[in-house]
Amino acid sequence: MTAQAAALTTEVTSVPDRYREATIRDQVWLFWCIPGFFAVFGLVFVVLARVMPPPAPGKSSAEIIEFFQAHGFTIQIGFVILIIVTGLFNILNGLMTVHLKRTTHGKTFAYAFLFAQTVGVTPGLLLPGVAMLAGALRPERSPELLVTLYDMTFLTFVGSLGCFVTAYIPLIAAILLDKNKIFPRWFAYVSIWNLVTEFVAVPVFFFRDGAFAWDGAISFWVDTAVFVVWQNAILIQLFRTINRQPPGMAYPD
Amino acid sequence: MRSIDQIICLWVTPICAVLIVLAFIFFPGFMPPMSPTMSETEVAEFFRENVSAIRWSMVTFNLFDVMFLSMFVVAGVQMKRMATPSPALAYAFIGSTASVVTLFTVADLMWLVAAFRPERSPEITVLLNDMAWIFFVTPVGLFASMCGFLATAIFLDARPDPVLPRWVAWLNIGAALLTLPSVLSVVVLSGPFAWDGVFSFWLRWIVFAAYVTLMFFALRNAIKRQDAAEEAIA
Amino acid sequence: MSLSAASESHVEEFWADKEDVPGEKAMWLFVLGDFLIFSAYFVIYLVQRAWDKQGFLDAQQHLDINLGIINTIVLITGSWFVAWAALAAREGNAAKALSLVRLTMLSGFIFAALKVFEWSKEIKAGYTFTSNDFFGFYYVLTGIHLIHLVFGLAVLQIVVARLKKGVADHRLVETGATYWHMVDLLWVLILAFLYMLR
Repeated sequence: MTAQAAALTTEVTSVPDRYREATIRDQVWLFWCIPGFFAVFGLVFVVLARVMPPPAPGKSSAEIIEFFQAHGFTIQIGFVILIIVTGLFNILNGLMTVHLKRTTHGKTFAYAFLFAQTVGVTPGLLLPGVAMLAGALRPERSPELLVTLYDMTFLTFVGSLGCFVTAYIPLIAAILLDKNKIFPRWFAYVSIWNLVTEFVAVPVFFFRDGAFAWDGAISFWVDTAVFVVWQNAILIQLFRTINRQPPGMAYPD
Repeated sequence: MRSIDQIICLWVTPICAVLIVLAFIFFPGFMPPMSPTMSETEVAEFFRENVSAIRWSMVTFNLFDVMFLSMFVVAGVQMKRMATPSPALAYAFIGSTASVVTLFTVADLMWLVAAFRPERSPEITVLLNDMAWIFFVTPVGLFASMCGFLATAIFLDARPDPVLPRWVAWLNIGAALLTLPSVLSVVVLSGPFAWDGVFSFWLRWIVFAAYVTLMFFALRNAIKRQDAAEEAIA
Repeated sequence: MSLSAASESHVEEFWADKEDVPGEKAMWLFVLGDFLIFSAYFVIYLVQRAWDKQGFLDAQQHLDINLGIINTIVLITGSWFVAWAALAAREGNAAKALSLVRLTMLSGFIFAALKVFEWSKEIKAGYTFTSNDFFGFYYVLTGIHLIHLVFGLAVLQIVVARLKKGVADHRLVETGATYWHMVDLLWVLILAFLYMLR
């Protein structure tokens, strides 16, 4: 065991709680922004912009125009809020990077995770928001163009697969190869479900109705359910990991 | 196996490269590249006739394009080992890599949106196809900055046994210079600089493929030497 | 661990590697969750099938039941080898366990090759991913199963690497075996629902 690894796993017994809390204060503050971010995320997508659950890809042009006209104002409020808070997504990445680096082989995996998650924000969150806003800005646009923006919104939102596949693989590998017990192994296994669901979303590019369309029972509902389970798991586990961090620990380079 | 993390991330790249090359061979728009001078009806017809080949090849590219660049995360980690005054260049390098791959993903999604409803009016299909090609070919500045950061770090590396040898720096400078001309593909529709031209398509992608191959071997050596050095200390 | 003992003790207790199930406990969590996800897929499949029973039955005629059964035999043989390997590892016989796990991996590769052959046969016959709802389910379910199988091969490769060093770590072999049995059982369910259900 290297000196660094020993420092990471040292059990410190006699530190006052006040001191311990001070050493992780920044992380705890940042951590509580994440549930806040996801609450806003849910509010924007479900209540305001009405894109979750997504409207059907098989809608006629007239129905799509109606969608933009009926929800135009709430779409604008919702995605403006989303654009303001999108950056907070990176808090999760920052905290995960800190703790992935504490694992035995974590350095490269931590950067790979950070790299892929950072990429994911643009095509997976901002691009759909911008496409939808462009549609809502001029709902009198030609129907063909509105349909295109509508497709662009949902295909980028549901179909940005590679960035997240690339993020989950180093996450899983770092946890399974770790000997410092930073994250429990069950969390790696739960992440495997999430990885597989990215592949299950492949059919959204092929189907306009049925279980495999972007609003389908399998490609949307099951995938979203798995994602919600994973999201809760990562939050609970990250919170525990932060709190278990030994006081006075040196962060690995 | 001290650097198992680096070895895994390094080998992901050739595996993804095989899948992506297969996808590109099956993508009907690359062999030979679609001409920017194709008429609207020709482009629309192209998407109608090849819809499933376009979808399959681009879904494969979607799944593996980000993973393909995981080798450059290893390059970033190796740059942090260099005896440069600060690790700033390493972080700048990783940041540029992320930007490069973001635009690959956007290009890929534009092709997929075009193929989602091939019955769209030809005008829009042409617009989506143009955007895809421009995102795919043009953003060479990001790639050049990656190469520039890496080359600078290698020249600044003061170690007696450099992490990466000098020829890698010259490789990076060469790759950057040879791909830069394809930026002109945004302004011309025909000739060697158009997106299907000798400079912007053939030279650019051949240089890129050669660059990735040589970088793979350079990084593999660097990891081996790192492991040997750490083994000697331990 | 005393710092956060209060908040962690029940968790540690729950996940402690007690020997009440074969292999790692977290792997059992994974297997149960995976079955839950697959149950959702099967329920959705059955609902869609109920809406268009004739269409699904007509499409199903084009599947090759013989290939399905050969696939099953290949996988069950592999499962049998890996179960035997777990026994050998418990006895401390790493060399025997190693060759048995390798045979399991071979069965996995044969299965994958047969699957690719079966897909290419269906595609050549004109039954592609988007032909109809039944074939959508066929390619997605067999495809997800194949991804699971590829993960399984990776897991077994880790087991092999460990056994090669002469360590008969029976917990690890059992964990691999648990995963592989899951792959096997999922395939049997796919066979029943997609190939056989009338």
